Amino acid sequence: MFGFLVPVIIGLPLFGFLFTALVGRRLGKRAHLVPVGAVGIAWLIGMWVVFNALTGAQPFGEGGFATRLYSWIPAGAFHVDVGFLVDNLTACLLIVVLTIGFLVHVYSIGYMSHDPGYWRFFAYLNLFMVSMLLLVLADSFLVLFVAWELVGLSSYLLIGFWKHKPSAALAAKKAFIVNRVGDVGFALGIMAIFVDTGTLNIQDSITRLTAEGAALPIPIWVVALLVFAGAMGKSAQFPLHVWLPDAMEGPTPVSALIHAATMVNAGVYLVARTNPIFAAGGDAIVVVAAIGIFTAILAASIAMTQTDIKRVLAYSTLSQLGYMFASLGVGAFTAAIFHLMTHGFFKGLLFLGSGSVIHAVHDEQDMRRMGGLASKIPHTYRTMLIGSIAIAGIPPLAGFFSKDEILGEAFKNGFQWVWLIGIVVAVMTAFYMFRLIGLTFWGESRVDPAVEPNIHESPSVMMTPLWLLAIPSILLGLVLSWPGPPLGNGTGLLAGWLEPVFQHGHELLGRAEPAFQLFGIDGGLLLVSIVVAVLGMVAAWRLFGVSLSGLQWRPNPERVRALTARVPFLYRASLNKWWFDDLNHLIFIVIGGRVGAFAWWFDRRVVDDTVNDIAATTVDAGKELRRVQTGRVQNYALGIALGLIVMAGSFLVLAAR
Amino acid sequence: MPGILTVTTFTPLLGALIVAAAPTRYARALALAASLATWVISLLLVIGFDPHAPAARPFQLVEAINWIPVFGIQYKVGVDGLSLILVVLTTTLTWISILASFSPIKERIKEYMVSFLVLEVGMIGVFVALDTFLFYIFWEIVLVPMYLIIGIWGGANRIYATIKFVLYTLVGSLLMLVAILTTAFAYQSAHGGVWQGAFDFEKLHGFGFDPTLQLFAFLAFFLAFAIKVPMFPFHTWLPDAHVQAPTAGSVILAAILLKLGAYGLIRFAVPLFPGAAHTFAPAIIVLSLIAIIYGAIVALVQPDLKKLVAYSSVSHMGFVTLGIFVFNVQGMDGAILQMVNHGLITGALFLLVGVIYERTHDRTIAKMGGLAGVLPVWAVALGFFCFASGGLPGLSGFVGEFLVLVGAFQFSPWVAAIATVCMILAAAYLLWMYQRIIFGELSGFLQGLGHHLVDMTPTEVLTLAPLAALTVVFGLFPGLVLDLVGGSVANVLTDAARQAAIVVPPAAAALAIALPILYVVGRLAWVAWIDLSGRGTGSAETPVPTEAAS
Repeated sequence: MFGFLVPVIIGLPLFGFLFTALVGRRLGKRAHLVPVGAVGIAWLIGMWVVFNALTGAQPFGEGGFATRLYSWIPAGAFHVDVGFLVDNLTACLLIVVLTIGFLVHVYSIGYMSHDPGYWRFFAYLNLFMVSMLLLVLADSFLVLFVAWELVGLSSYLLIGFWKHKPSAALAAKKAFIVNRVGDVGFALGIMAIFVDTGTLNIQDSITRLTAEGAALPIPIWVVALLVFAGAMGKSAQFPLHVWLPDAMEGPTPVSALIHAATMVNAGVYLVARTNPIFAAGGDAIVVVAAIGIFTAILAASIAMTQTDIKRVLAYSTLSQLGYMFASLGVGAFTAAIFHLMTHGFFKGLLFLGSGSVIHAVHDEQDMRRMGGLASKIPHTYRTMLIGSIAIAGIPPLAGFFSKDEILGEAFKNGFQWVWLIGIVVAVMTAFYMFRLIGLTFWGESRVDPAVEPNIHESPSVMMTPLWLLAIPSILLGLVLSWPGPPLGNGTGLLAGWLEPVFQHGHELLGRAEPAFQLFGIDGGLLLVSIVVAVLGMVAAWRLFGVSLSGLQWRPNPERVRALTARVPFLYRASLNKWWFDDLNHLIFIVIGGRVGAFAWWFDRRVVDDTVNDIAATTVDAGKELRRVQTGRVQNYALGIALGLIVMAGSFLVLAAR
Repeated sequence: MPGILTVTTFTPLLGALIVAAAPTRYARALALAASLATWVISLLLVIGFDPHAPAARPFQLVEAINWIPVFGIQYKVGVDGLSLILVVLTTTLTWISILASFSPIKERIKEYMVSFLVLEVGMIGVFVALDTFLFYIFWEIVLVPMYLIIGIWGGANRIYATIKFVLYTLVGSLLMLVAILTTAFAYQSAHGGVWQGAFDFEKLHGFGFDPTLQLFAFLAFFLAFAIKVPMFPFHTWLPDAHVQAPTAGSVILAAILLKLGAYGLIRFAVPLFPGAAHTFAPAIIVLSLIAIIYGAIVALVQPDLKKLVAYSSVSHMGFVTLGIFVFNVQGMDGAILQMVNHGLITGALFLLVGVIYERTHDRTIAKMGGLAGVLPVWAVALGFFCFASGGLPGLSGFVGEFLVLVGAFQFSPWVAAIATVCMILAAAYLLWMYQRIIFGELSGFLQGLGHHLVDMTPTEVLTLAPLAALTVVFGLFPGLVLDLVGGSVANVLTDAARQAAIVVPPAAAALAIALPILYVVGRLAWVAWIDLSGRGTGSAETPVPTEAAS
C-alpha cells in the first residue's frame, strides 16, 4: 500500500501544477481550488505515512521503507533508479514541508487574492511542493540532485513572480546562479561518490564509503566537503549567503514557505542525511561547524540594523540556519533537525505575520514607517509576539529547547568556541527580534497618514494559518524533547525517532550520549541560555520600547543614536551588510565583465582574424602570382628555358654523386 | 525490409524532384509532405531495428552494391543505434524546419524547398554510409544546399558568411579525402594489391594501420570533424553562419550539421585510428575544456540573441568531444545523448529566436525587454528551452551533460571540475539574457512595433511542441536513447581499446604544444599593440554591454 501512497504524495501536487499551468488562466478566482486541494490531500496521506513511519509500523521498521519507481539512467555501470525512501528523518521533514506548505497555500488564497497572476502563483507553489517532496523522499543522490535543482527553479520562478519589477528579476537570477555555485560542488561530490562506490543509492553508497578499510580513489573528506558545498548554496551559508536576503523580492508567502521553512533547510537535511560521511570525514565536520557559527553571528550582526521588516527576518533565517550547521558540525545531528523543525514553524509564522503587517499598511515594508500597530492588528500582533518569544529562546516556547540543545551539545562535545559565539548570537537574536516587535507594534505610529485610517486586520483565511502555526511554535519544543512519560522514555521523542538514522554517525564520531544532568553541567548551560535571551530582550526594550500589560517603556532614539555613534565602524558594517554585495559586484560584474569582453575580443582579433588572414593571404598570393601570367610568349619561353636548366642541372648534380 | 535505408535516404530526393517539377504554389505543401514521408519511413527503421542484436552484427539493414569495383568502392549503407538515432533526429528536424520556413521564406520558395530536401539526402547519407568514399560524397553533398540556403536566403552579410562556411569546411574535408585514399592504399597494399574492402568501414575498422599513417590520417579526419563540430579554435565560422542563415538554416546547422562532425569522430576517427586517438586524446580534452568554458564566457557578452545561442553551441558541443575522448561508457553515452539533446534544444532556441526576429526584424538583446507581458506563450517556451539548455535536471540536457561529467571524472577529477563550472556559466548567460528580454517593462523599441508584436501562431507552436515533448521524454526516460546506442558505444570502445597510445617523439610533442602557444602569445601581443595604439582599422566593434547592477 505504501509503495502506492508515497509516490501519490508527490503526484498530487504534480497534478495540481500541470492542471493549473494548463487551464488555470481560465479559472480566475477559483484557480486555487485544485492546487490547495491537492496539497491538502497530500497532507492527509503524508501524515498517515509519517505516523506509520514514526511508530515503526510495517513495512517501515527501523531502517525505513524504500520503494522503486523505474530505472532512470542505464549507462553501463552507472545505473540510477528513481525511488523513494521514507525513514524517520524523512518523516520529520515531511511534517514540516507538508504542514507549512499546506498552511502557506491557504494563506496565499487571501494574500494573493488581488494579484492578476493568481493562478500562476498557485501553479508555481505546487511545482515547489513537488520538488521539495521529491527532495526529502529521494533515495538516490542523483534524484535528490534533480529535486535540488527543481526547488531552485521554483524558487527562481517565485522570486521573479512580479515580472515587471526589475529588482525581482535580478534577485531571481542571483538566487539561481549563487545556488549553482554550490551545486557545482554537490555535482562533483556525486561523481566522486559514484567513482568511490559504484552506486548513487544513498544508503548503499554511505555504507560503502564508511566501510572499514574501504579503498577510496577520492578521500572521504573531499566527498564531505563537496556535498557540503551544495548544502551551503541551498541553505545560504557564508559566503554563498548573499542570495537569500534579495530573495525577499518575492511575494511574502514564498518567503515564508521557501526561504524560511523548507527549501533553505535542504542543506541541513542533506548533511544530516549523509551524516556518516561527515562523521568519517575527519576535520571536514569542523569546517561545517565553523562556517555555520560564523554565518550565525555574521547574519545576526546584520539583522540588528536593517529597517526592512522582511530583511530582518531573512538575516535572522540565515543566522538560525547557521546554528543548525554549527549543530551538525559539532556532531549534534538530532539537535540540528530539532531546530530545523521548530524554526520552520516559528519562522514560517513570523514571515506570514510580516506579510499580514505589510498587507495592513498597504505594501509598506520599512519599519521606520510603522509603529503602534499592536492595537490595530491584534491577531497579527499576538501571533508574531509568540513567534518572537519562540525564536528569542525564552522558555517554554519551542525555540528555547532546540537552541539550548545545540549550544549544550556544542559545549559538551568540546566545541566551547562554538558555544561562546552561539551565546553571543543568542543575545543578538533576542535583541533584533524585539527591536522588530518594538518598531512595528509598539510606540507611536509612524504610518503614512494617508494609509493610517485604512489599516485593517487580514481576513480569516490568512489569520487561521497564523494561529495554527503559533501552536507548534509554543508547544513543539516541549513535545519533542520531553524525556519523561507520557511522550518520551528516557530520551525525548525526537531523539528516539532519529536514533536509527544518526546511530552510525554517532558511532563513527565516538560520541556516547551522556545522561542529562539538570543539577550539573546541563542545568548551568540552560541557565546561561535563559539569561542571555532575557538580556537581549531587555536591551531591545530599553532602546526601542516595550508595551506589554504592566510593562510600559518608551523608545529611546537618542540612546540608539549615541550607541551607534560609539561604534561607527560596526554600525556601518552592519548597515551595509559587511559590503558583501559590493564585493560580489566587483568580482562578478566588473571583473567578470572584463574577462568576458576580453574573451570576445580574443575570439575576434586572434582566433577569427587568423582564419581571415589565411584567407586574405591566399587571395594576396593569387594577386601577386597573377603578374607572372603576362601573356607574352617570350616570358613563358624564358621560364621554360630556366626551368629546364634547373632540372637538368639538379639531375646532373644528383647523378654525379 | 530490404532497401528501406536507400528508400529513407532518397525519398527527399524524389520529393525535391517533384517540388521542382510542380508549380510554385504547391512547393511548400509538397516539401512538407516529402519530409513527413521521410520521417515516417525513418520511424519504421526504429521498429525494424533490433537494439539487442549480438555484438558480432553491429550494423543492421545493410545494403551493399558494387559501385566502382576497380577500387572496391561500394554503395554500402547500414545502421547501428548511433546512426539510427541521428537519422531520426535529422528527419524530425527537417520537417520542423520546413514547416518553420512557411511564413518567413517569401522568395524563391521552390528553390529553397529543393535545397532543403537535397540537404536532407546528404545528412541521412552521412549517417548511413558504411563506405568511406560514399561517406565523403554525402559529406560534400551537404555543403552545396547549405551554401545556397545561407547565401540566397540569409541576412545582409550572407555572402561573407556562406563562403567562410564552405571554404572552412572544405579545407578539412579535402584533407579527409586524402586520408581516406591513404588508408585505402594502405589496406590494398597490405592485402596484396586487392582493392576489395579498401573503402569498406567494416573491414577497415579492425585493421591496425601503421602508427605513422595513423597519426597523420587521424589528424586529417580530426581536422575535418573538428571544424564541423566546431571545436575551439576552429569555431569562428559558426557565429557568422548562424547570424546570417535564415531561421530554418540555423536550426538544421545547429541540430544536425554540427552532429556530422561528432558522428564522424565516433564512427571513423576513433575506430579507424585507435592508437592515434589515444595519443591525441589529452590535447582534444584540453580543447574541449577550453570550448566549454570559453564558449560560455563569450556567450555571456554577446549583444545578439543568435550569436549568444551560437556560442552556447560551442560550449555544449565541447561536452560531446570531451565525452568521446575520455573513452568510457558514461562519457560516450553522455556524448551521444548530448548530441541528440543539443539538436532538440538548440534547434528549438533558434526557432524561438526566429519567432521574435520575424516580428521585430531585430535580435539585439539590449533593445528587448518586458516581453513576458505581450508574448506570454513565447516567454514560457523560451524559459523552458533556456532551462533545458542550462541543464536543468528532469529535462534531457541534464542527463547527457552529467554522464559526460561522470565519464570525465573517471578520467580525471580535475577535468570534470573544470567542465562542471560550465553549470554556473550556462545559468549566467541564459538567465541574464532571459532577464533582459523577458522581465521588466516593455522596451521603447518594442512599444513602437505596436500590433506587430503578436504571440506565437499555431504553426509556430506546432514546430516547437514536438521538440519540447522530446526534451521532457528524453529527460525522464534517457534509457530510450541509451538502450538504442548501447551496442554502438560498446563497439566503439572495443575498437578504441584495441591499441594503446602511439608514442610520439617528445621533441615533436613539445613542438606541437609550444608552437600554438607561441603563436597565440605572439599574435596577442601584436594585435594588442595595434588595437591599443589605435593603428589598426579594427574590426567592426560592437560595444560590450555592461550590466547596470548585479
